[in-house]
This record gives sequence, structure tokens and C-alpha cells, in this order.
Amino acid sequence: MADNETPTPTPTPTPRPKQRPIVRLGIFLISHSFLFSVVCCTAGVVALLLLPILAKSTYISENALMPGSAKPMLSGQEVSEANRFVKDLIALNSNTPGAAIESQRLIAEYMSNLGAEVNYHKFHPQMVQFHPLHFFSSPDSRIIEQNISCSSYGVNTVGIIRAPRGDGKEAIVLVTPYNPGKIKQGEALSLGIAYSVFSLLTRVTWLAKDIIWLASDSQHGEYAAVAAWLRDYHMPVFTTLHTKSAEMCPVSNYLYELKDNPITERKIYDGFKRAGTMAAALVIKVVDRSERFDDSLSINAEASNGQMPNLDLINIVNYLAVHRQGFRVKVEKLWSLLDSKWLNVLGELFESVGQVVRSLNPQWKFGIPAADYVEGIATLASSLYNQALGVPTGPHGAFRDYQIDAITLEISPRASVDSMTRRNDFLLQGGRLIEGVVRSVNNLLEKFHQSFFLYLLTSPSKFVSVGVYMIAFALLVAPLPMVAASFYANAISLNSIQTKDKSTPATGSDETDITLRSWKWINAAKKVFVVHLWGSVVSLLPYFICRVPDLSPTISFITWFLLSVLSFLIMYLVLASSFSHAKASKFHVGEWAILKSVTISAAFIGLCLMSVVNFSTAEIGGLIVVPMCLMVYPMRLDIRVRTLRTLLRLACNLVLAFIGFPPVTFVLLKGAFEGFDNINIGDFWCWVQSLWAWSSATYLFIGMVHLPCWALCIHILFHHC
Amino acid sequence: MAEKMKLGKFWIWVAASLIFRLVLIYFPNNLNLASRPEVSTPITSLRRLTEGYWLKQASLSPYAGSMYHGSPLLLSVLGPLTVKRIEGQPNDILCSLVFVIADVVNAMLIRVIGQNLQTSYNQRLKSLGLDSVSKSSAILPSRDIAALIYLWNPFTIVACVGLSTSPIENMAVILSLYGACTCRVPLAAFGWVMATHLSLYPMILIIPVVLLLGYGPETPPRKLFMQRKDGKIEDSPSSHQSCQEGQAMEQQDLANIFSWRLVIKFLVWSLIWSGYVLILCGLSVKQYGGLHEMFKRTYGFILTVPDLSPNIGVLWYFFAEVFDFFRNFFLIVFHMNILFMIIPLAIRLNHRPCFLAFVYIAISSMLKSYPSVGDSALYLGLLGLFVNELADMQFSFFLFCVYVGVSLLSSVMHNLWIWRGTGNANFYFATAMAYACLQIILVVESVSAMLNHDRKLTKLSIAKHQDSKA
Repeated sequence: MADNETPTPTPTPTPRPKQRPIVRLGIFLISHSFLFSVVCCTAGVVALLLLPILAKSTYISENALMPGSAKPMLSGQEVSEANRFVKDLIALNSNTPGAAIESQRLIAEYMSNLGAEVNYHKFHPQMVQFHPLHFFSSPDSRIIEQNISCSSYGVNTVGIIRAPRGDGKEAIVLVTPYNPGKIKQGEALSLGIAYSVFSLLTRVTWLAKDIIWLASDSQHGEYAAVAAWLRDYHMPVFTTLHTKSAEMCPVSNYLYELKDNPITERKIYDGFKRAGTMAAALVIKVVDRSERFDDSLSINAEASNGQMPNLDLINIVNYLAVHRQGFRVKVEKLWSLLDSKWLNVLGELFESVGQVVRSLNPQWKFGIPAADYVEGIATLASSLYNQALGVPTGPHGAFRDYQIDAITLEISPRASVDSMTRRNDFLLQGGRLIEGVVRSVNNLLEKFHQSFFLYLLTSPSKFVSVGVYMIAFALLVAPLPMVAASFYANAISLNSIQTKDKSTPATGSDETDITLRSWKWINAAKKVFVVHLWGSVVSLLPYFICRVPDLSPTISFITWFLLSVLSFLIMYLVLASSFSHAKASKFHVGEWAILKSVTISAAFIGLCLMSVVNFSTAEIGGLIVVPMCLMVYPMRLDIRVRTLRTLLRLACNLVLAFIGFPPVTFVLLKGAFEGFDNINIGDFWCWVQSLWAWSSATYLFIGMVHLPCWALCIHILFHHC
Repeated sequence: MAEKMKLGKFWIWVAASLIFRLVLIYFPNNLNLASRPEVSTPITSLRRLTEGYWLKQASLSPYAGSMYHGSPLLLSVLGPLTVKRIEGQPNDILCSLVFVIADVVNAMLIRVIGQNLQTSYNQRLKSLGLDSVSKSSAILPSRDIAALIYLWNPFTIVACVGLSTSPIENMAVILSLYGACTCRVPLAAFGWVMATHLSLYPMILIIPVVLLLGYGPETPPRKLFMQRKDGKIEDSPSSHQSCQEGQAMEQQDLANIFSWRLVIKFLVWSLIWSGYVLILCGLSVKQYGGLHEMFKRTYGFILTVPDLSPNIGVLWYFFAEVFDFFRNFFLIVFHMNILFMIIPLAIRLNHRPCFLAFVYIAISSMLKSYPSVGDSALYLGLLGLFVNELADMQFSFFLFCVYVGVSLLSSVMHNLWIWRGTGNANFYFATAMAYACLQIILVVESVSAMLNHDRKLTKLSIAKHQDSKA
């Protein structure tokens, strides 16, 4: 630019000297960006499909855990006691009116008979509300609800054993959700398992961590009870305001009539009892549906925003369940994928590739049987889906907000457990599993840190770590910066050529054009910024729509849609008018190209951010957003040229733009998995509502990355150039 | 007419930024900005200042307990405001208002500096006969752009709303630049002394300030004037208002004469001000260990980096890892890094002292021990002053994207590490390194763009010279 010999002010660039290799590499990539983007995107999708094959077997990384090294101590005595407890609980159901209080009292009595410290924890379930700032704040900044109604409150029963060898600074939590009003057999059994372990642990000498048994009241949802208890555990209320309001309710007081009972008097406390920081938590559930072949155990681990507990916790449960207690361990699968044709074909293809590879060199281990592959994909898809939703899959999710590793163990017995011996067997088996896990965790010196936090499960004993699955994502999004750079460079060079052609005698305005060449993106950036701002406004709108009572989901959705369009128009009128003077005549040539490159950059930043927050959302979002952003091209230019290639591109663009609209994406995905029979627009509203109720980052992604990118793509598609 | 409309728009934007800040002040608890490591460092955190003030009220040393590390003067000025509560208002509303005012004042000062630079620069270009360059590039009023960049920069807003004292520190720096630009020597000296007193690193700004006072504001390369003089080209005598009032010198000579009088005046005033500041400090910390304790707890704290809590700089990670017996060595190395670059830059850029100040601030905010986004806000605001000169800057779009990306990613990584426990320190430090690299690229690219601009001017001037000869 500066190397001009002529006296005219228009600079004529002389051929530059040879550039540095890295610059040349960049230029090479940019000039072949189309090829590279196709290759990278395909590679990204293929890598995603390869994940079950690349999965590694789990291993226990923390040496201190030593699962299964000790002989289980749980014996028939504890089990028969537990059986009596279960029977008592089930017997309570007959007299319905005071059943809830009776069952709570019964549990407390049994707990305190074992010598544990018992207290009741009253809580009021928090209303589901839209707090736009919850996404950004840590859990301790939640607002305590002001209006507490006496009619709806729950009572958790908490028992604590102090460890003989511990210093009271650490604890392990067992959680058994149950509905005190009507205890089902499964719930009674899960309480029984916890009771058997609890009674054993009161007597063992090796215990180094306190044991907390939380019998959580699941009347208002399993999650809410646990979350309320955790909140009170971690945030002591120093003002009496909160407790007072709970005391005001007359019903709650007669729980303490229990204290009249002379046996339990010394052990039941008014206040909130605490043990140390929690090392791990196990949620025990027994499912009533019976399995055909084996006692099976399914592990749920996904907490809010796709966070997972440390892999070691799953490993020890899996190890003990499979190798010691003979459970069949499952993790959740997407069943609809299991019998899909193309997956089976793909699995067989990979299997045969694996055979070829093995015939070449027996050392290379590649490929797994087709059936395993399909299972792996189904598990992976479910894992991805649950993580992407960002909604916890059970009460264990509440623990993750306080950095406590927790999982839900759903045990389903083989046949009915009505017979005495069968029930004893089942309690023994379940109790020994829990005992083994507690004993392992008890050995921990520090909190779980050795193994992975960021992983996807493809089967209970196989996982894909962050280092592997990030490759798939990185390949998928790699074209974005490349294409952005190429469009930017093209637009800039195009513009300079054009200005040169247009006017050889340099006038003042052209001069500015050239001098401001490197800052020309500012206008496009303004536009992109405004659209993203609109996206955040749209994501805030439900806050107001929720305030209007008695709206059906469909009407809410339509209101939301109309308000969004209205806000878009308002923003366009207010903000676009102030920018319009800039685009009068100057920057028309490559305007859409620069806009596209800025859009792509914004999408890239958004996807990368999301991949750190919640990988699965970013991966699924990337699969939709990346092709849409890469392909988009102004319709008029395509129509003007009218070759087969451009028309194909146009068709692709229209389809992608249609699919990319978030509600349409939702309907299509839902239809693909559940059939199109009973789909209505209100479903989207309900789905979105569940997302923000759990303050899932996916909601923010849809509102602030996906939707603005879609709007910008539409804008480019219909650009008048 | 258009000028007036532009001006009106400028004031509308200024008012909008003011309102935006006031709105944000009302949600301090929800945003929780004051506890972000990007915003409040041990030096600038207002919470620590409040603690220091309480200690002082309780007749303890404000520096007891390693909480407060700022200046005792700031304590006496802002301290009473932190305890005053207004019914129904957020807790620190008074302090927040002070910071908002400081921000607006900063923006106005930047605008005046920009105005000053622009007029003097245009005059100098005219004297070289290069008006065409100035005319074409003067379409953008760089002063307004700089002020708006400063006001609307998210970093500035966050630093202002997030209850950190960096707006005040920035004000001291800008005051000294403003004083130097407008030849108000006592003001320049006061700003420099206060900035040094508050955060130590602005001490290196003495070089740009001295150059500003000695040579006057930005000029094209100085040797151009020499050539013109040699060429004996008649110039219309311009009525240039320079610092050397009363001296009817030729325009060309002005740029080359170093006015020792002003510099000495500046040094004397600096001595007076620093003596004054020291006496005030001494009085306020008299019963708590005196000045020695103050120096140890403020400058010592900055220089020896004892607080290794994470921030957006690179030093905390390094000094958390380094062995104790190497610590002193690396402390010296890291601090020398800033000093090494002072002299070469001063030689190369001595004709553009304000730009030199920008480069110094950028470098020191990259390598300082407790950086915060408030420092970035300052140098990005100053960068706006040179829009016309930096029009050809490379990678501007890339830099912008990475700035956005890194600043978002760093807070996410911090959340992942501290709150969720699934990440670790390396995640966060990676973004800190990316941020440091980004600042390096910004400095390198802006300096090279500026040098290219100078080369272009030289070429044009030579061409003109030859033309007129022919």
C-alpha cells in the first residue's frame, strides 16, 4: 500500500516479496475454503459416528477407591431388620388420613433407634419461574420465595451417623425419595435398602466419613425436595424470618409431638443438623416394573447443563454391580435408534472395515461388532440428548450445583418381590452394592478429581473422553473461521478492484473508501450486533408472557412469536435508521459477503462458547447452524445466474433456512423420534418452559446464538444486491 | 449543519451511555460483577477498600490482614461513601455514582485531547503541504469516536458498574495526558503523580508526558520538517498557538525544538505534588506504621505479587508454579519486560507522544501484576484517537472477534473452574494467555500501521518536494 512510486495519491500496490510460510498456508486454506469446508464437515460427522468405536473401556483411576477389596459385611441380620421396616412401612398405607405423618415418624423412629441423629427438614417447594439472570449466577444467589403457603410443604427426614474414625468434616449422602402419603412397594424397598446399609454403618469401625441418610419427601417432586435440603444445608439462614414462616403453619407442629415418645426424645432435634462437606451422594430408587432376566441396575448421571459426575463414581458402581453383585447394568438408550436400518448398515460397514484393518495388522484394534455399534450409538445419542437438554435426569442433579458427585441408581428386581426370601435376597444384593460403594468412597482422601468430568457414555463400561469427542466438534466448526476469512478477503479485494474501475481520478470519497478499507466490517458488525441484541430480547420475552395468567401453551407461543416479530420491527425502525446513512452508496459491492463473514464469526464464537458450557448442545446446534451459515448465498445472485449449481444451492439454502428456524427444528426432531401424529405448536412452548425452569444454557443458546444466526442467514438469503 | 447533527448525535450517545450505567447500577446483586476476577483485582476492588475503611475506623491499620492494598488517600476520599447508605437504594450507590462521573469526565477529557491532537496535527500537515491527506482523513472526527469508544466499551462499563476503582486510576492517567496536551503543566504533573501513586505502573508515562511537553503533540516524522527547511520552501506564516507562547518561530522549527523550560517546570511541579501526596499519606498512616508500611503494602504488594488469586493476567499462574528460590529472579525478569521496551519505543515514536503513551499503557496492562479490564478500557479508548492514522491496520476484524471471544470465554472458563468444578486452572489460564497474545498483536499491528502511515507521509512529502522543484 505504501510502496508507491507515482505521485498520485492512489496507491498502487507493487508485487509483494515472498510471504512467510504461515501466511502462505493461511492464504492456501482460504483460497480452497470450499473444498476444505466440505471435507471438514464430512469428517466431523463421520468422527461423530465413529465415537462408539473410539470409546475406551472405563478404568478406576483413583487408587484410593479400591472397590470390592473388602468382603461385604452386610448380613442376614440387617436384612431381616430391614425387611421388618419395609413391612411396617407398607402396613401403614392401610390407614390413609395420617399416613404421611405416620410414615415420617416411623422412619425417624427407626433411624433414631439405630443411634443416629435425626431431624426433620421442612421445606417449601420453589415455584417454577423465569429468572433471566439465573443463568449467570451461582446457586447461592437464588431468591427466597416470599409468599409461602401452608398447604404445600414437604418434610424430609434426615438421619446422620457420626463416623468413629472421622473428624466430621466429610460426609457421604444416601438419598431415598419416597412419597409419605402413599408409599409404593418400590419406595419401601429402596428405604429398606438404605436402612439395611444404615444399620450396618452404625456399627462398623472403619467409617471415616459421616453418613447422611436423606429420606426425601417426593410429594412435590423428587428434585425439589433434595434441592431444598441442599440449599438449606449449604446456606444457613441466620435470620429467623424464614423458619418463622414455616413454623406459622399449624400442621407442621405436630410432628414434634413425636418427642413425647420417651425413647426417641433424646435423638430428634429441632434445628438443622449438618455433617461435613459431601464427598459423594447416591440416590437409591427401586423401580416397580420387573425385569425379565436379571436384576438390573440403571445409572442416571446427567445433571443440569450436561454436567456429569466424576467418572470414577460410575466406575465403582458399575464394577461392584457387575463383578460382585451380579446386576445387569444399563444406561439410558434411545430405543427408537436400535432398530433403524441405516445404523445397522453403518455398523456392519464399520465391522467389515475393522476386519480388513485387522487382516492388515492384527495389532490394530479397530471396529466392533455391528450390534455393539448400534447399541453404542443409541446410548451415545441418549447421552447427548440428555446433556443437551440440560435438564437433570433425577434428584442427583441437585448435588452437582454444589460440586458434589452424585448418581441415581435405579434398581429393578427380576421378578416380583412379594415372597419373603426373594425380598431378603433382593435387599441383601442391593444393600451390599451400596455398602461397597460407600466403603470405596469412604477410602477417598480428597474429593473426586482423578478421573474425567467431561465424557459421554457409550455403554456402562465404555466412555468417550473430552479429548476424543472434541475432535468431532472441532472438525465440524473448523470451516467457519476459514470461510469467514475467505469471504472477508474476497469482499475486500472485490471492493478495491471495483472502486479502481469506477473512478481512475481519485476523489475525496474514494480515498476514504480505501483508507477505511480495513474497518469496513464495522457496519456489518453493527448489524449482527443488533440482531443478537434482538435475540436476547426475544429470550427475555417469556418473562413477561409468564406473568399473564391462564394462557394455553399454543396461545403463549403465538404471543411470543408475534411479540418477537414486533420487537424486530421496532429495533429495525429505531436502530437501523441510525445506521442507514452509512450504507447509502459506499459499501454495496461486497456488503452481503462481509455480513456473511461477520455472521459466521459470531456463530463460531457462539458455538465455541457453548461447547465449553455444554458440549452436547453445541454439537447438535452445530449440526444445524454450521451448514446453514456456510451455504447461505443471496437468492437474487443465484437466480440471476441460473445454472444447475446455483439452483441446487438455492434449493439447499431454502431447505436449510426452513429447517433452521428453531420451532421447526424442534417439531421435525420430535416428529422424527415420536411420530408426527400429535404435534402441536404449543409443545414448543412447553419444551422451552421446561428448559428455562431448569435454567438450561440450551435456552440461551437457542435465543442468543441460533435464532440470530438464522435471522441473519435469512437476511443474507433475501439480500438485495 | 451536518456537523451540528453529528454533534447532537454524539451527545445523545453520551447520554445514553450514562443512562445505561445508571440502569445497571440498580442490579448490582444480580449481576454480581464486583466479585468477578476480571473486574476487581486486589488493588482495585471496592470491597477491599470498604474493609480497609472499617479497619481504619476501628483504629487499626487499614493494611492489617492483607485485605486493602490501595492508597490511603483513596481510603479517605471513597471510604466515607462506602458506609453511607441511602434508604431503598443499593448499598454502594454513592461510589457507583462517583465512578460513573469519573467515566464521563474521562470521556470528555479524551475528547478534548483528541480535539487538541487533531488541530495541531492538521496545522503541521498544512505546513508540510500535505493538506490533501488531512482533508480526506478528517471526515472521521476521531475525538468523538475515541470518547464514544471509551464510554461504550463493555470493558469500561463493566469496570465502572462492577465497583472497581479503575475509573479513578484511569482518570489520573488521562488527566496527566490532558495536562500535557494543553500545556497545563501543574495539571500534567498532578495527574502523573496521582496515577503513579494509585497504581505505580503509569510511572513510565513520564516519557510521553515529557515528550508531549517538550515537542508538543503529534507530528509527522520530524525529518520531514528538516527537509522542508533545507528545501527553503516558503510557507505562509501560520498563527499557530503552541505551548511556547510569545515565541514567533517558524512552524517547521517548532517541531524540532525541545522546550526544556516546560519540562523542567513539569519536573518541579511533580516534585511538589509528590511531596504533597507523601505528606498527606504520611499524615493518614502516621499511627499505623508510617510511610514505610504503606510502601510495603501498596507498591511492595504490586511488585512482589504475593496474591496469586486468578486474574486475567499471566503472572499469577506463573508464580504459583515457580520454585521459591527462583521467585525473586523471575519477579525481576517480568518487571524488566516492561522497562526493556520503553527506550526503543521512545526512540522510534518520539514524534507521536500520545501514541507512545497508548503503547506504554497497553504493554503495562498486559504485563502488570494485577490487570483488570479497566486497564484495557483505557488503552482501547486512547486507540480511538488514532483512527485516521490506523485506518490501514491489518487484522482489525480478527482482533475484534478475538476480543469478543476471549472476554466471553474467560468468564465461562472461570465459572467452569471455580463454580462447577469440572474444569481446572489450565482452562482459565489458557484464556489469559490468549488475551495476552491478543494484546501483543494489537500493539504490534497498531505500531506497524502507524509506522506505515509515517512512511506514506514521507513518500508524499518527498514527491511534493520534487514536484515543486520541477
